[in-house]
Amino acid sequence: MAKDLDKKLAVGQGLDRYASAVGLIGALLSTLGFILAFVLAAPVNGASVDGVEMIGGQMVSNQLLFSQKIFYFHMPAAVTSMVALAFTAWFGIRFLTTRDARYDLRAKLATEIALLFIIMTMFSGEMWERFEWGVWWTWEPRLTTYFILMLLVFAYFILRTAVDEPERRATYASVFGIITFIDVPICFMITRLIPSSVHPVVFRTDSGLSPDMLVPLLLSMFGMFCIAFALYRLRLRTETMAQEVDAIKREIDE
Amino acid sequence: MNPILEQIYATIIPSAPYVIAAYALMWAALCVFVVFALSRLKRTEAQLAVLESTLASRQDDLTDQIRKQ
Repeated sequence: MAKDLDKKLAVGQGLDRYASAVGLIGALLSTLGFILAFVLAAPVNGASVDGVEMIGGQMVSNQLLFSQKIFYFHMPAAVTSMVALAFTAWFGIRFLTTRDARYDLRAKLATEIALLFIIMTMFSGEMWERFEWGVWWTWEPRLTTYFILMLLVFAYFILRTAVDEPERRATYASVFGIITFIDVPICFMITRLIPSSVHPVVFRTDSGLSPDMLVPLLLSMFGMFCIAFALYRLRLRTETMAQEVDAIKREIDE
Repeated sequence: MNPILEQIYATIIPSAPYVIAAYALMWAALCVFVVFALSRLKRTEAQLAVLESTLASRQDDLTDQIRKQ
């Protein structure tokens, strides 16, 4: 049993063998998604104009919104951050049930990755907001719940640095990681719970996205999942090595 | 330009800097993280190599001492 667990949590083999390749695939997919977002996806319609024009064989009677191109990376980054936080919660639960410190390390690194993608989401969202809504910030339901999520992730790291004793730190962080994850479904569902929200509901039976829009979006999303996985494994390898360094230092001191 | 087309394309040029900034900021954040992760990996690898060689030489010294005794 213990051997199985050791094998599962081993670093430097298995999953790590594929991490670089997955990272490369992620870079390729997201680059392809980026290119197709500009080349393949048609611009969405904005406000109506005072007439109709024929563009590319189609009757156009609305403004074409170029700013919507931000969406093709903005939403995948947000979804990736939420998936990473699901792993934080999962590893937190695993730590609380097994008391194995390796799960705590994994939870910390998953949260690190979540923070990176939260920052990316915030950056891109800010640019959209400034241009389309004319403000840098508004307390719109999706924005507010995502902002709370970002604060919870900051608080997670503050909590980790505030507690010195490793076992206690891991326990508190695991519980806090699970609590942080509770905001993820709230944030995801808020556009359904409060339909007045200006954020669209993208994931539904009929997403309203035509294939030319869906393809770049999905490519970017799977690309980001791959990048997140590769970065997570890279950080895990480094942190495991750092623990080895500490162990050797202790051995030399003795 | 046709006034209708002018209206249709009215937001393209003004929104371009924001679209470029959004993608640039996202890539910058990603690059900063990758650089941080790789530099930390390199530093840790270097530390590990030094410590392993120190440990190995200590063990060699210890073995020599035991042999001499």
